[in-house]
Amino acid sequence: MSFLSLIWLILSPVIVALILMLPNFPNHQVKIRRFAKWFAGLHFVYALLFLVFFDTSMFGMSYEKELTLFGMSWLKSLGISAKFGVDGIALLFVVLTTFVVLITLFMSKIHIRTKHKLYYSLVFLLEAAILGTLCAKDMFVFFVFWELSLIPLYFLISQWGNSEARRAAMRFIFASFVANMFLFFGMLILYYYNFAISNVLTANIETLNMDSTFYPLWFQVFVFVNFLIGFAMRVPFAFFHNWYPDIQSKSSAPVNILLSGFVFNTGVYGLIRFNIQVFPEIFKLFAPVLMIWGLVNIVYAGAQSIIQPEVKKMVSYAQTSTAGFVMLGLACLNTVGFNGAVFTAIASSVVYSSLFVVISCIEFRTKNTYITSLGGIGQVMPKCMYLALIVCFAAIGVPFLVMFTPKLLVLTGTMLSNLDQQLMVKIAAVIGLCAIAVSAGYIMYFFYKVFCSVLLEQWKKLKDLSPQETAVLSALSLVIIYLGINPMSIINVYQSVSSIILDILQV
Amino acid sequence: MSEFINMISTAYLPEFIIIVFVLINIFASLFFDTKFYKLSKWIALLGIVLAIGSTFYLQIEPEAYAFDGMFLSNIYTVFFKILILICGFFLILLSRNMIREKRDRAFEYFTVFLAGILFAMCTVSATDFVGLFVALEALGLSCYMLLSFTKGPDSKQLTFGYLVQGAVVSSMFLLGVSLIYGLCAQVNFDEISLYFANANVMQSQPQILLTFSLIMLACTFLFKLGLVPFSSWLPDTFKGASYPICAYISSIPVLACFGILAKLLMIFYHYTFTMKIVFAIIAVVTIVLGSLSAIRQENLKRLMAYSMSVQSGIMLLGLCVFSVYSLSGVLFYLFCYVFANIGAWAAIILLYNSAKLEYLDDLKGLWYHRPYYVLAFTVVLIALAGLAPTCGFVAKLYIFSAVARSGFVFLPFLMIALISSVIMIYAYWRIIRSMFRRVETDIAIDNKVISSKYILYFCSFATVFICFFADKLVRLCQLVAYYM
Repeated sequence: MSFLSLIWLILSPVIVALILMLPNFPNHQVKIRRFAKWFAGLHFVYALLFLVFFDTSMFGMSYEKELTLFGMSWLKSLGISAKFGVDGIALLFVVLTTFVVLITLFMSKIHIRTKHKLYYSLVFLLEAAILGTLCAKDMFVFFVFWELSLIPLYFLISQWGNSEARRAAMRFIFASFVANMFLFFGMLILYYYNFAISNVLTANIETLNMDSTFYPLWFQVFVFVNFLIGFAMRVPFAFFHNWYPDIQSKSSAPVNILLSGFVFNTGVYGLIRFNIQVFPEIFKLFAPVLMIWGLVNIVYAGAQSIIQPEVKKMVSYAQTSTAGFVMLGLACLNTVGFNGAVFTAIASSVVYSSLFVVISCIEFRTKNTYITSLGGIGQVMPKCMYLALIVCFAAIGVPFLVMFTPKLLVLTGTMLSNLDQQLMVKIAAVIGLCAIAVSAGYIMYFFYKVFCSVLLEQWKKLKDLSPQETAVLSALSLVIIYLGINPMSIINVYQSVSSIILDILQV
Repeated sequence: MSEFINMISTAYLPEFIIIVFVLINIFASLFFDTKFYKLSKWIALLGIVLAIGSTFYLQIEPEAYAFDGMFLSNIYTVFFKILILICGFFLILLSRNMIREKRDRAFEYFTVFLAGILFAMCTVSATDFVGLFVALEALGLSCYMLLSFTKGPDSKQLTFGYLVQGAVVSSMFLLGVSLIYGLCAQVNFDEISLYFANANVMQSQPQILLTFSLIMLACTFLFKLGLVPFSSWLPDTFKGASYPICAYISSIPVLACFGILAKLLMIFYHYTFTMKIVFAIIAVVTIVLGSLSAIRQENLKRLMAYSMSVQSGIMLLGLCVFSVYSLSGVLFYLFCYVFANIGAWAAIILLYNSAKLEYLDDLKGLWYHRPYYVLAFTVVLIALAGLAPTCGFVAKLYIFSAVARSGFVFLPFLMIALISSVIMIYAYWRIIRSMFRRVETDIAIDNKVISSKYILYFCSFATVFICFFADKLVRLCQLVAYYM
C-alpha cells in the first residue's frame, strides 16, 4: 500500500498546526474548528486504513519508512536515523491516539473560549509527538518525540486550565524532565554498550541488545531501573503518579480527555519496547517485584480514589489503579497476561476518556466537579445518565463491555503464571480480583451520587445533552460495546507480536 | 621576499589580514572625525569577511608552520579560526548601538576588538608555551580594554574583579610553564609530549611537581571559561559590562581556550588520568553550582553569565574523557554553542536597545507585542537548554554519549550532569515563561530596524537547520578531531 506512509501520518498534524498558526488563516473560531475537525476526521480514517491493510501474520515491523532530507539520513555517522515502523501494538495505540484526538476536538467547542488558533495547533503538535513516539524505530528519535510531547502539553494545561494550572503544569513538566533524564541516561549507556558488544554503532530499537554475560549484573539492573523510572513516570505507576490527578483536576475538560487517552499509550509502549525487549533477563528477574508493585498500585491508587471528593481526581486515581493491571499482566510472563496487559492499556484509554467526556458535559453545565454537590442530576439529564451508565459499567468490567476481557485475561494470566513464588502469585490473583470489586464500589458510588441521589435545587434547570455530545458519547459507547463483544478483533492484531516478545522472554 | 609571501599565504593569511585591518583602523582614526565613526565598523567587517575568505587559501594538508615552527596551521586550527571569525562578524553587527552612544571611541573599540580576535586565533595556532602565553595574555588584555567601554556608576567596580583575577591566574600560568620547563627543558608542545611519553622519564621525575604545574596551567583556562573555582568574576563582570562585550567574553575566549586546552590535554595524554578525574569533578561542580545559581537570577545578563559557565562545564566534561569521539563531540558542541549563544545575546541586546528591558520581570507580556522576536528567542534558548528540535539536543547527545562510552568511572559524573541540566532548563524556561505571561501594562518598543534582529532570526534558523542536517557537520567534526 504505497499511499500509506507513516511519515505523512506523523507530519501531517505538524503541517496543519503550522497552517493554523499562519497569520493569513482567518482568525474566526468556527472556521478554525471546522478545519481542525475535518482534518482530525480524515486523519483518523487514514490511521484506520493502516489497521485495515495491516498484515496480522507479520512478525516484526510493517510500513517501514525512513525520513531522509535530500537523500541523507539524519545523523548517519552516529548510527542514528529517522526510521519509522509500526508493529501490532504500536499500530493499535496509533489508531487510538487519532481517535482520542477526534473525540477531543468534538468536545472542545464548548470549553475552549479563547486563543483558538493556539489551542488547535497545540493539540495537533501533541498528536504528532505522540505518533512519532509510537512509530519511531530509533531510540533517540523515540526520545526526541517523547520530550517534544511535553511542551504542547505544558501549554495546553497552563493556558486553558484553572487558576492553579500553571503551577501544576510547571511541577509536572519538571518532574517529567528529571524522569526523562534517567531515561536518556539509560539510553546513552545502552547505545554505547550495544556498540561495545556488537561493534555496530546503532540506535535501532530492533537490534539493540544489552543482554550479555559481558557486563556485571548490577550494571544491567542499573540501566534497567533507569528505563523503568522514565516509563513509570509517564504511565503513571504508583509512587510516580502524583502529577496525574494533580494535572487532571486543574486542566480544562478537553485536555482531560486528551491526557487520559494518551498517557498510557506511550508509557506502556516504551515499557514493552525497552524494558522487556532489550532486557528480557532482567525483566524476568524483576517480575516478582513488578508484580508486587502492580498490586500495590491497584490497591493504593484505588484506596486514594475512594476518598477523593472531586470527580476528576477520583477518575484519574481510578485510571492509575488500572495501570496496576497492566503491570500485573506484564509481570506474569505468559501470553495470556501479556495480551491482557496490552488490552488493558487500550481499553482503559477508551473507557476513561469516555468518563472524562461525561465529566466534561457535567462540568460545562454545572461549573462544579465535587461529588457531594452534584446530587441527582440524572433526573434532569436522562440521556447523559444512561450513556454514563454504560461507561461506568465498562470501567468496572461488566461482561460484554470493553474492560471485562482484559481484566479477565490479566487475572487468568496471573493465576497461570509460572513464577517461582507460587504462593505470592495466587495471593496476587485473589487481591486483584478483590480490587475489581472495590473499583466497582467507588465507580458506582460516583454514579449514584452524581446521577441518582436527591436532586438539588440549583440543578433543576440543567439542560440535557446536545445532539453533538450525544453523538460523541454514543459513538464511544458503541466502541465500548463492540470491543466488549468482539475482543479478538483487537487481540488478533498484536498476537504475532506478543508471541515474538514471549519468545524473547523464553517462557 | 617571495618566501615570506609564501609563508603568509600558507600559514597565517587570516591573521595577517586582521593585522592589516587593525593598522588601517588605527590610521583611519587619525584622519577621520568622530562624524565618520561608522567607518570603523565597516573596516572591521571588511577585515573579518576577507579573513574568512582567506582561510580557504590556507594550506591545511599537510600542516603548515611559520615562525620557526611557533605557529601551526592545520584543519583543526582553521576550524577554530572560522568559528572565531564568524563570532566576530556577528559581534561587530551587535555592537552597533553601543558605538553609536560612544562615537568618539568607535575606532578605538574596533581596534581592540580586532586585536582580540587576532590573538584568539593565535592562541589556537600556538605550538609552544611562549607563543601560547603571549597570545593568551594579549587576548586577556583586549578583554580588559573592552571592559572599559562601559557606563553606569558601579560598572568599573564590578569589572575590576576580572582584571585582578586575570592577573593572578596569568602569573600562575607562568609558574606552571616555568615548572614544566624545569622538568623537561622544552617549551615546544610536541617535544614535551615526546619527553613525557617516555615511560622511564615518568618514573624518574617527581610526580607531584608535574601535577602541581598542570594545575597551575589549568587555572588560567578555568578562569577564562568561567569554571569553578574561578567563576566568581562572571556574574559581576557581566552585570557591569556592556552587552556586546558580554557576548564577546562569552564566545571568543571560550572558543580559543577550548581549542588550545584540547591540545594541552593531548600533550599530557599519558599522564592525564588524574587530571581527567579532576577536570570531570570541576566540570560537574560547575554545572551543578552554575545551574543552581542561574535559577535565582533576575537580571538577564547575570543569567547568561551562569549559562556560559554551565555550557563550558558541559564541554569540559566532554573534553576530559578525551577520545577522538569526545573531541569531535566538543567541536560539534562549540559550533552549536556559537550560534545559540550569539542568538541569545542578539535577542537580549535587541530587547535592551529597543525597550531597555534588562530584568526577567520586564519581559512579561512580550509575546503579545512581538511574537516573532519571542519565537526566535525561544528557539535559541531551547538550543542552549539542549532540547529537541534544535542543534542543542544533537550536541548534548553527542557529548554525553561520548562520556557514556568512556568507562564506568565517568558514569556518576554523567548522571549528575544530566540531572542538573534539568535545573538549567528551568533557568531558561523562566525567561520563556515570563515572555508568555499576560500583563496589562504596555511595553514601549522602538520600532527601528535593528541589525541584531536579523542576527537573532538567522541564529534561530541556524540552530534548527543544523539539527536536521547534522550529519555533514558531525562528519566534519570527526575529520577535524582526527587530524588533531
